[in-house]
Amino acid sequence: MHSLTEYSNKNYWICRVDSRVKLVVTFVLLVMILTYKGFTFPLLMFFLCLMLCFRIKIPLNTFVLRFSEPAFIAFVLLVLKLFFSGHDVLFHINLYSVSVTGYRDGLMTGLAMVGRIIGAVSVVVTLGFTTQFAEIMAALSWFRIPKSFVEISMFALRYIFVLIDDATVIYSAQKNRLGYSSIKRGLKSFGTLAGSLTLKAFEHSQNLTTAMVQRGYDGYIPLPETLPLKHTDIIVSILFLILMGAAWRI
Amino acid sequence: MGIKKIVFLLTLILIISAFPGTAYAMHISEGILPLKWAALWSFVALPFVLYGLYRFKKISSVDISFKPLVGLMAAVVFIISCMPVPVPTAGTCSHPCGTGLAAILLGPSISAVVSAVALLIQALFLSHGGLTTWGANIVSMGVMGSFAGFFTFKALRVMKIKLAVAGFLAGIIADWATYFSTSVELASGIKGDSPFLPLFWKILISFIPTQLPLGILEGAITAGMVVLLSKKRPDLLVKMRVLKPEDVTV
Repeated sequence: MHSLTEYSNKNYWICRVDSRVKLVVTFVLLVMILTYKGFTFPLLMFFLCLMLCFRIKIPLNTFVLRFSEPAFIAFVLLVLKLFFSGHDVLFHINLYSVSVTGYRDGLMTGLAMVGRIIGAVSVVVTLGFTTQFAEIMAALSWFRIPKSFVEISMFALRYIFVLIDDATVIYSAQKNRLGYSSIKRGLKSFGTLAGSLTLKAFEHSQNLTTAMVQRGYDGYIPLPETLPLKHTDIIVSILFLILMGAAWRI
Repeated sequence: MGIKKIVFLLTLILIISAFPGTAYAMHISEGILPLKWAALWSFVALPFVLYGLYRFKKISSVDISFKPLVGLMAAVVFIISCMPVPVPTAGTCSHPCGTGLAAILLGPSISAVVSAVALLIQALFLSHGGLTTWGANIVSMGVMGSFAGFFTFKALRVMKIKLAVAGFLAGIIADWATYFSTSVELASGIKGDSPFLPLFWKILISFIPTQLPLGILEGAITAGMVVLLSKKRPDLLVKMRVLKPEDVTV
């Protein structure tokens, strides 16, 4: 969690591509993946994104970690679809007195779903690895997303790490004092931790407001200026999307 | 559903629950929902988020410290919903939501905005939830969780129930409402040609090992938070209209 946006390194071309262009490309790719019937196109996206992430030197364990949750969910859905959905029997096993039936059409639907999850996650993970949060927010602002939403997001991201540090200190103190030695004590400690975090958030917000007002804050945070769109970014993106569109149709 | 299938389903739940990975069962992962369902839930979430932003703008035009406060609450919700909590009955880790807590303090509509911000950051940088399932996750966590938690708390306080009990039950209801609506969204999204209800029950049952204890944890967190705030900073609870001035004993 401590490295939300640290991988966006401007030495790599993909990180230098305009964030507005990257958002549009991501959106189009996600629509393609969600509307695709099989699992070859999503898998193609997965391998492309994997190669891109390796190219910009994302550690393998970080990449795998980002996939752990969606992969687990994909596995559960595959199992549910295999055993509980479909009519065309693929296999039948008798486990003691319980008979288990796997369905071929259920398996195919499940695999399509797994492909969709893996493909879509790869695209979003790549966007997250190659773009800084402030750039995404500036791009969203350019796309006329309400400024209040962007401002709340900027405040939130700025203070996530401060509050994580606060939470870590409180948690360690509670743990050292056997605050999690039983379920009852653990529940109470966890409640106190959440309450303390909320109190800290109130205190930080009051101090932050004072500090910002002293520095001329009038209720609006300036965002990074959006530069004119580069023609090369647009042309390369359109060519890439045409190529992907062709792959999607096959 | 026959008795054999029920036995098999329960066995399956136990097997899946035995995986030592991280479940994060609450958010719907990227790519699970087909395009039409992803779009539908986004349209459902939109008016709630827009109304929340309208309320936020209205309040922050009067109180300049409200913007940083909401941003920090978004950070708190982000952290709480990222905290991996061991669930001994399931053998996995999951997480509370924190929306009941945010709804009690900020009101349900602004809590929906806070959830939207937390979910966006999680989707972009942690693969927790997703961009295509953002709308669905806002509806379950931000809208259902917030409104259920808020109205439970208000109703219990009207009945003069103690602050800790009201907070505890509001947290539980917020959590379970979230998991109930997540089951509805998942079942409607992945059912394909199968009937909705049987799949809905299967998903609901498979959530029980994690979400049942987590609901209690969420209740403990919410209760701990309101009790701690009422002891340390009752003025804040009065300001946020959680307590009436006459409820605060000097």
